[in-house]
This record gives sequence, C-alpha cells and structure tokens, in this order.
Amino acid sequence: MDTFLQTLKDALAIGSLYALIALGYTMVYGILKFINFAHSDVVVLGAWGSLVLSRWLEARTGSTWTTDTPAPAYIGLLVLLAAMVFCGLVGFTIERLAYKPLRKAPRLNVLITAIGVSLFLQNTGQLESLFGNRPRSIPALLPDQTLVSIGRVNVTTLDVVGLGTAVALMVLLEWLVFHTKMGRAMRAVSHNTTTASLMGVPVNRVISFTFVLGSMLAAAGGFLWSLKYQQIGQTADTSWTLLGLKAFVAAVVGGIGNVRGAMVGGLAIGSLEMFGCAYYKSSMADVYVFGVLIVVLLFRPGGILGKATIEKV
Amino acid sequence: MLPLLIGLVFAAVMQLVVKPNIGDYPAKLVLDIGIAISLAVSLTMVNGFTGQFSMGHAGFLAVGGYAAGIVTYYGSQRIWGDRATHGGILSGRPLAIDPATLPLVGHGDWLFLAALVVGGLVAALLGFLVGLPSLRLKGDYLAIVTLGFGEIVRVMIQQTNATLKPQDIAWEEVYPALPRPAGVEAVASYAFDVIDPATKLGRTVYQAVSDTPAWDVLTHVGGSLGFTGIPKYTSLFWVYIVASITIFAAFRLKQSTFGRAFLSIREDEVAAEAMGVNTTRYKVWAFVISAFFAGVAGGLFAHTLGVGLSAETAGFLKSFDIIIMVVLGGLGSISGAVIAAVVVTVLPEALRDIPQYRLIIYALALILIMIFRPKGLLGTHEIWDRAVWKRVRRRGGSEPGKAKGGSSP
Amino acid sequence: MTSSGRRSDVLRVQSISKSFGGLKAVQDFSLTLCEGDLKGLIGPNGAGKTTVFNLLTGVYKPDSGAISLSDAEVAGLRPNQICRQGMARTFQNIRLFGELPVLDNVRLGTHVRAHQTLLGAAMRSPFSVGEERAMTARARDLLAFFGLEGRAEEQARNLPYGDQRKLEIARALATSPKVLLLDEPAAGMNSGEKVALRDLIRRVQTTFGVTILLIEHDMGLVMDICQRITVIDYGVTIAEGPPEAIQNDPKVIEAYLGAPDEPSVEQGVARA
Repeated sequence: MDTFLQTLKDALAIGSLYALIALGYTMVYGILKFINFAHSDVVVLGAWGSLVLSRWLEARTGSTWTTDTPAPAYIGLLVLLAAMVFCGLVGFTIERLAYKPLRKAPRLNVLITAIGVSLFLQNTGQLESLFGNRPRSIPALLPDQTLVSIGRVNVTTLDVVGLGTAVALMVLLEWLVFHTKMGRAMRAVSHNTTTASLMGVPVNRVISFTFVLGSMLAAAGGFLWSLKYQQIGQTADTSWTLLGLKAFVAAVVGGIGNVRGAMVGGLAIGSLEMFGCAYYKSSMADVYVFGVLIVVLLFRPGGILGKATIEKV
Repeated sequence: MLPLLIGLVFAAVMQLVVKPNIGDYPAKLVLDIGIAISLAVSLTMVNGFTGQFSMGHAGFLAVGGYAAGIVTYYGSQRIWGDRATHGGILSGRPLAIDPATLPLVGHGDWLFLAALVVGGLVAALLGFLVGLPSLRLKGDYLAIVTLGFGEIVRVMIQQTNATLKPQDIAWEEVYPALPRPAGVEAVASYAFDVIDPATKLGRTVYQAVSDTPAWDVLTHVGGSLGFTGIPKYTSLFWVYIVASITIFAAFRLKQSTFGRAFLSIREDEVAAEAMGVNTTRYKVWAFVISAFFAGVAGGLFAHTLGVGLSAETAGFLKSFDIIIMVVLGGLGSISGAVIAAVVVTVLPEALRDIPQYRLIIYALALILIMIFRPKGLLGTHEIWDRAVWKRVRRRGGSEPGKAKGGSSP
Repeated sequence: MTSSGRRSDVLRVQSISKSFGGLKAVQDFSLTLCEGDLKGLIGPNGAGKTTVFNLLTGVYKPDSGAISLSDAEVAGLRPNQICRQGMARTFQNIRLFGELPVLDNVRLGTHVRAHQTLLGAAMRSPFSVGEERAMTARARDLLAFFGLEGRAEEQARNLPYGDQRKLEIARALATSPKVLLLDEPAAGMNSGEKVALRDLIRRVQTTFGVTILLIEHDMGLVMDICQRITVIDYGVTIAEGPPEAIQNDPKVIEAYLGAPDEPSVEQGVARA
C-alpha cells in the first residue's frame, strides 16, 4: 500500500511536469503542425535561468539558502516569473528567427530546423561563459516540510507547491484558450490557418503568442524540475532531450493539438513510467514510454482525446 | 560489375599503399570517413529516396555492430580458443607477425565477413519491423517513432549481461560426472551466474566453451559497460569495400525503376499510389535495404580499433550525426551524402582547438541550410548533374522554380 | 444506345455511396462506360465529382456498392492495385513528381507493368536492362505525342502550367490504362489552349484506344466532346444523357442557376 501511494505521488508530480511541457508541444503542433524539438531546451533554459537568478539573489542578499534555511517565499515566486518572462522572450526569438522564414516550407524542413535550434541551444548553453558543462545545484527556494503523512508516505511542501503551480497554470491556460479572444484566435488558426487569416485573424501574432505561451509553461516546468531535483544537468545532457521526448509522447498519447489531451497524456505517461518502475524494472522506463507511443500511434493515431483525420486529395 | 572492381582496387590501394604512408592518426580518420560514408548513404535510401524521415538509424548501426560482434567474439573463442584476430594482410592488424608469412585474406577475415553479413541481416530484419509503422505514420510522427525505436534499442542493450570470458577451469568443476582424460588438466569454460531454484541462492556454473550453445551467449554483450574485447578486424580495405558496395547499390537502385518508385513516394505519395506504385511495399523495402547497410557499417564500427561499442551507439545523438550528413548533402543525393560524410567527419579535426563549438557550428549550418537552401547542398542531384552546375553559374540570377518551390502543402 | 449494346462494358459502377461523418458525399452513384466511350461528369462545385474519382481509383473505399473494371471487382482494392487493373487518373490540383525530370514522371507510369526484380536491377541483368530501355522508349514516345520531347530532362515543376496538365495525362497513359479519368484538365487554361486540349483528348482516345471519363467545368468543352454526360449535385445523380438533353434538363439548370451563391463565387475564390 505504501509503495502504491508513494508511486501515485511520484506519478502525479512527474505527470504534472510532463503535462506542463507537453502543452507547449501540443499548442505549437496544433498551429504549425511540426514537432518543436527545441521546446525541451526552453525547459532547460527555464531551469538554468532559475538557477542563475537565484544564485545571484542569494549572493546579492548575502545569504545561504539550504533546505533548512530556505529563501523567503516571494523569492521563489520572483524567480518563477522571471524565468517565465525570459523563456517567453527566447521562444519568441526562436520563432521569429528560425521558424518564421519556413512558414511555407515542407514540414520536414521545419523539423530539421527545429533539431538545429535544439542542438544550438544545448551546445551554446554549455559554453564556459554561459552555464558551463557540469551539473550544478540550485539553492533551496522552498522548505521541505512534511505536511501530511499517509502511512509511511510523506507529502511535503515541495510536492504541494509543485503540483499546485502546475495545476494553477493549466487552469489559467484552459481559461485563456477557451474563454478569451486570443484563445479563440488560436483555435481558429489551429483549425485552418488560411481561413483564419482570411477572416482577419492576425496569424503571425497568434503564432508568436503561442510560442511565448508555450515557452512560459516550459519555463515553469524547468523551474519546478529544478526545485524537485535541485541538481541541474548541463544543457546538452541527454536526459533533457529525453524529458522533452517523453513530454511530446504525452502530447501525442493525449491527442496532439488538444490542450486537455496534453494534461491527460502527461498524467498517463507519468503514471505509466512510475508504476512501471515501481512494479517492474526501473531501468526500462524509456521502453515503457516509447512502447506506448508506438502502440498508440499504430492503433489510435489521434491519441486518447483526439480524432482521426482524413487526408484530402 | 566494373564499378565494384574499381571499388576493390581502390580499397586495396587504401590499405596497402595509402595507410602505410600517412601515419596512424590520419589513417583512423580516413577509416572513420569510410564508415560515415556507408552510414550516410544508407540513410539516404530512406530519408532521401522515399522521404520517410527516420531518426533511429543509429539503432540499426548498434544492432548490426552487436550482432557482428557476437559472431566474431564468441566465434573466435569457439573456433580458435582465443580472442585474437586471425586476419590476413588486408585486415592488416597482427603487426608482430612477419607480413611475408601472412596470407592476403586470413581465416579470421572470413569469419569477419560472415559477421558483417549477419550484422546486416539482423539489422535488416529490424528494419522490416521498424518499416511497418511507416505504412501508417507520416512525417514527424514517423520521425518520433523511429527515434523511440533507437532509444528502445539503447535501453535493451543496457539490460544485457556482462560479456563472457573463457577461463581455464579444472576438469572436475566442469564435468563432475565424467572421468578426466589423461593429460587434460583444465577446460576453457564460461562462468554463468545462476540462481538455484531450490535454495534461491546465486551460484556460479561453469560450462565448457565448446558445449555452450549460441543462444546462451546472445544476452552476454556487456550491458551498460559496453561490448569490449571484440577482435579488431576492421581495416581501410574492408571499410572502403563496404563503402563502395553501399554507394554502388544506392546508385543502381536510384537509377532503376525501383528508384523512381522510391522517389515518387517522396514527391507525392498519393500520386505515386495512383500510378500503380505499391507504396507500402517500397517503404518497407527502403527501410530493410537501408537498415542492412547500416548494420554492415555497424559491424565495421564494432571491429574498429579504439572504438568502444556501447549502448550509447544506438542513442539519438549518433542518429542526429548521420541525419546532419544526409541533410547537408541534400536529401536524395548520393554524392552529396558522401561529401557531407567527409566534411562532417573531418570538421572536428579542423575545430580541434575549440571542440565545444563543433555542434554549435553544425546546428547553425543546419538552420541556415534549411532556410536558404532547403534541399541541402545538392538537392536530389548528383555532383556531376548538369542542373547543379547550371544553378551555380546562374547564381545571382533568379533560381528556376523558386517561385513555385515549396508552395505545395 | 444500339451501338453500346454491341460494345462491351469496361467500367460498371453500381450504386456506390460514401459519407464522411454526417456528410453524404456520394449517394447511390451508378455509371457504365462502354469501350471507347468519352463520358462527361459534371456538377456544381462541391457536388462530389472528385470524390467519385477518389472512390473509383481506391483513394477512398466506398461504404457500399460495387465497381467492376473489365468484369473484375475493384471496390475496396488499394489505388495501386486498381491502377494495375487498368484505371489511371489525373488530378484536379496537379500532382506531378515535381523534383523529378519530366521523362522520369512518365517512366514512373510504366513501372506498374514492369517485371524485373530488385536484385536484377541492382545487378543490371540483361532482362532488367532491356526492360529499362523499353520503358524509356515508351516514355519518350508518349512525350513526343504530347509535344514535350524537348523538355524531357527538365524538372516537372518547372514546366508551364499547360504542359504540366499534359504531362499528367502522359504519365497516366504510361500505365497502359483501359479507363482514363481526367479531373478538370482544362482548369486554368485560356480559350486557345482549351481548343488544343479538346483536339488532344480526341487524339488520345483514338490513338490509345482508352475509354475516358472527364470531369470538367468548362461546359463548352464538355458539350463539345462528350458523347454522354452524367450530372451530379450534392452527391446524387440528377441527370444522364447526351449533351443536348442535358442542356435542356430543368434539374440541371436548377442545380447550376438555382443556387446563385454556389459555383461562380467559390470558383473565383479558389482561383484567386
């Protein structure tokens, strides 16, 4: 029972992170129909941005933030917001410089460009003058107190804040997409770009907005990731790419282009991975995830919440 | 058959004339180039000809390498009782032996050749399985599935057990029930760790090398430690023979009616099918052929001196490397892939003082090429096609078809 | 009527239907083509003409009904199998293999009748070499027929629009079809080109002995060359008969003129 509860907690924690990141993939895919391979690197920038800023704040205030003496709560919020703004700008720039010139190019070209952008961000980030090529740890921004204990499973502040932030951001996004004018424009562009532009929807602005939004969520994902694990791998560490791939798999499994699907998919993939690790073999985590991807794509290509599309001839 | 003969002569010259005169380090570079050529050209058959975007090519490379490694590593132990190379002059390794006493092609070379073929066939079988999803998936979905395939291969390799090394074990330990023949002290044996079903305790069982069936060793390829100790047969001769065959096959394919069928799938799958092309069959064929050559290249890679064959060989970073070659050269251009393979392999040498910039430069090159030269350096053309030179000469003027290019959805 | 009784039926379509979700794109569509027919299929925009072509060539599978081509049932087969059985088509929105040379576009059409093996091609067996030579010769003949022999080495996408339409027909003919489906071959052509196209279609029919089903918006062209015409609207056949009868059919007139917001406006947008 304890194992089950512990696993459930882990699954929720990792699943909500996947969901946050998956949202960025799914929104871009919904509108531009390509896998933004560089999205996982925006997550990385979110994590490293949080690290650099909190280190700077730590030095600036002349304090040392450890798990026992964590930073005050407003610092954490400040770092999160700053990381989101930073990554939003990065996302905007990537779209403008690399993807916009390819708006009419074949999808494969955009995919290759995205791989290029990803490699660029990963390896630039590793330069000594930037983040360096070694993992570093982030100062403690949250107390690690146990709030509730169920059996031998402890629910800590970190768990609650992590899940809470992810859920809050998803609710916010849901509202944005389904209840605002911009959200309606996004859905229109996603449904049919040409028609939307004929109807006066400013397509380029909507695309930029989507990238900014997705990148901000990615930043939040990176921030929460660094809170959870403290140790942050160097930007070209393959574990980041794998994190991104799993989030993308979550988006596909949930139904690509579907905002709610990304959330469902994130939780599904997180659960699959965690329960697979807990009850079978932990070293095979990647195999479960990609195995499910292949099965879903072959038998239900639209994903859990998606629907099959008919190709027009 | 003339081109193959030229390839044979070229490969022999590489090994017997070029290699002794350029020193070990450049020779290793030339060898890496040859393997890169085979990999890039084999990936061209899928990504370039049929336009199916595979991102798991390193998976085939690794599987071919491991399969070939099993054949030579365990085969040598079975046949010669050791793990040394038993090659001839053309595989050029045993320097201690007077070259005059060596045959041109040694017994070990035949085993090595068989291993390469086995590696290719195993990879081809896997290519068939990976090709099947391509029937239902397109574009980036297929890309992500093939990438996932590579990762699955990587993790699976990590799950394998340590390699087995033959040890001399006392006769009584190995054959407790048999009387020891006179003069025999020890038997070359493998140690297997097994769990006794009765006591649930682990213990070591010794099995004579000559009694160990092939399937017992299949899972003993080193796991996360890597597959070490594979005899190093790969020489410039073998590398360039394989590269020649790969290029030759790719050209023959491209120029035949099957090549046109492949290309038509890339250009417009619906139209291709309406014109009678069995797109299903050809897409799978492309994967099978491409995987075969990647598997053979993997065999060469596994038997190269100074190479550690490990699970990471199947990782997506290696796949990206090969994709970069194919994209730079031009999707569908064989000569382009060859040129790009050379450039991408040599470039790290040019950037030796600033290795951290290597991938940044690749990345920028990839982005800029996609924006300014979307078909890669040569597009579908070959370097000697007139169209390429016409365009170079016409540079500055308007490029034909630019107005219409890329307008299709 | 009397003459068609003596000729054999090449294509017999019996009440095929197809819906997408709730939309009934084609309902109970039937059609018979006798050998040597040149039949027109017309209807307002969105009437389901191209869907009929997609059903006949296997791009979509009909929900119900039967399609027999030279007495072989082809409904439910894949497009490449149907092509092998002897049905070839062109596309309304030209779908050439743009990057490939003009010659290779046509040679690809001959692929479906090829007998060589992959290994034979790789080894350049005498049979394979002979067959390749025959394919090339046939492709060049076809190009010459369409006046495109001078552009054989050019990339297909660089051809002028009218030539691309011709190349599509040449490519379809290279598959040696019994039935040729032409989807709006005159779209985007000026009146001079249309006259040339009319003669070309006639020459294609007499030279290659194919049976033709033609979708076309240009009424002048259809009335001029087709022996019989089928009119569909909203997926349903509303009239069938010789051109004169169709021109005076009240249902047809209503379909075209009764819905004033349909044909002309949308056509204008699509062409813009």
